[in-house]
Amino acid sequence: MKRVVSVSLGSSRRDHKVMTELLGESFEIARVGTDGDFNRALELLQELDGKVDAIGLGGIDVYLFVKEKRYAVKDGLRLMEAVKTTPVVDGSGLKNTLEREVVRILAGETGLLKKGAKVLMVSSVDRFGMAEAMAEIGCDMTFGDLIFAAGIPYPIHTMHELEEIANRLLPEFTKMPFHMLYPTGKKQDTQDDAKVEKFTGYYLDAEVIAGDFHLIRRFMPAGLKGQTILTNTTTRDDIDFLKSKGAGALVTTTPEYGGRSFGTNVMEAALLAVLGKPWEEITPQEYLNLLHRLNFKPRILRL
Amino acid sequence: MATHDELTESLKAFTDSYNKNERLKVMNRDWNRVVVVKANDIESLHTLTVQDGVVSIREGASDPPDLTVISDSETLADMFYGDITPTEPYNNGTLRIMGSEDDIVRLDFISLMIWGE
Repeated sequence: MKRVVSVSLGSSRRDHKVMTELLGESFEIARVGTDGDFNRALELLQELDGKVDAIGLGGIDVYLFVKEKRYAVKDGLRLMEAVKTTPVVDGSGLKNTLEREVVRILAGETGLLKKGAKVLMVSSVDRFGMAEAMAEIGCDMTFGDLIFAAGIPYPIHTMHELEEIANRLLPEFTKMPFHMLYPTGKKQDTQDDAKVEKFTGYYLDAEVIAGDFHLIRRFMPAGLKGQTILTNTTTRDDIDFLKSKGAGALVTTTPEYGGRSFGTNVMEAALLAVLGKPWEEITPQEYLNLLHRLNFKPRILRL
Repeated sequence: MATHDELTESLKAFTDSYNKNERLKVMNRDWNRVVVVKANDIESLHTLTVQDGVVSIREGASDPPDLTVISDSETLADMFYGDITPTEPYNNGTLRIMGSEDDIVRLDFISLMIWGE
């Protein structure tokens, strides 16, 4: 049996463990949250190193992609470098392949995404593949990176401006303490009421709300009108939360295991264990081939 | 060590660059703040005021500011001239900023939008 563990800076309330089978092999897949405690995450990674088949890093990004440019998040890199033996991934490789594929499936097979659809992406530099794929099919995009990460009420509407601003900011923002830019630990269980009120319009104007679930959740107002939520890392409680806010459908880019969808870091770690190759040697096409063999499909849940 | 006059010039350069950037003014229309800039190695105090997206500068302190930026005069002058970014001095403790975390991120953002790559 192979063991895959995701160590997350997120809330321990979301911890989860499942047994499953991938291509005939048994897997134990677990997620362990450290409630935003960076040092606890470091210790846990060192404890697991060499004892499990692959590790995912959750609640933090290590690499952010803007087209061909890659920016390393300093805090994420520190966590990754604490692991010396076991392969460790942050999900960015899978995001760039799986999430493009999900957009293709949603546009081609479901009607949930179509040309002209108004999409709010709460954060796009952590999901550049998804952002690019939706822009390519002609969605009417609002990229909320400045709004939700920095509190600046400036919606970005084009890939060109997104790239320009990202390339200007990311070389320095990636050096800042991660908790200043992204909700970690207990912040993931609460909402920022002032910003919910301030930014309500962006949610209500959209037909599809996409991106990181913790950001979506933290700023989501009540009174949605059946919007589709495209994300992952959702639990049963999250589904109840989305229903209570009036969302109409939930699409998760990773499959459901035991009532929840794991983060892409967990799934990428599992794929890594299946492939048994060093992360650096795996190509996007290998991920895609494996995803097809595993019959990975987005989960679509009408709420 | 920079002089008070050099620090004043660096803040003028920062203010001019900011106010020429129409997009930045739109981005900060909602952010009315008073920022005091204080050197800790020479006698030098300045106040930057952001009002309806426009920045103005004057010598002397303001009470009470929303943000207080404290560092040595050389670091402050380098930062406001855009020769260095605030991130490294902030992370290594050379630069202290007192205020809310959201406001600190916003100030860093403004600096990068003016001088960033």
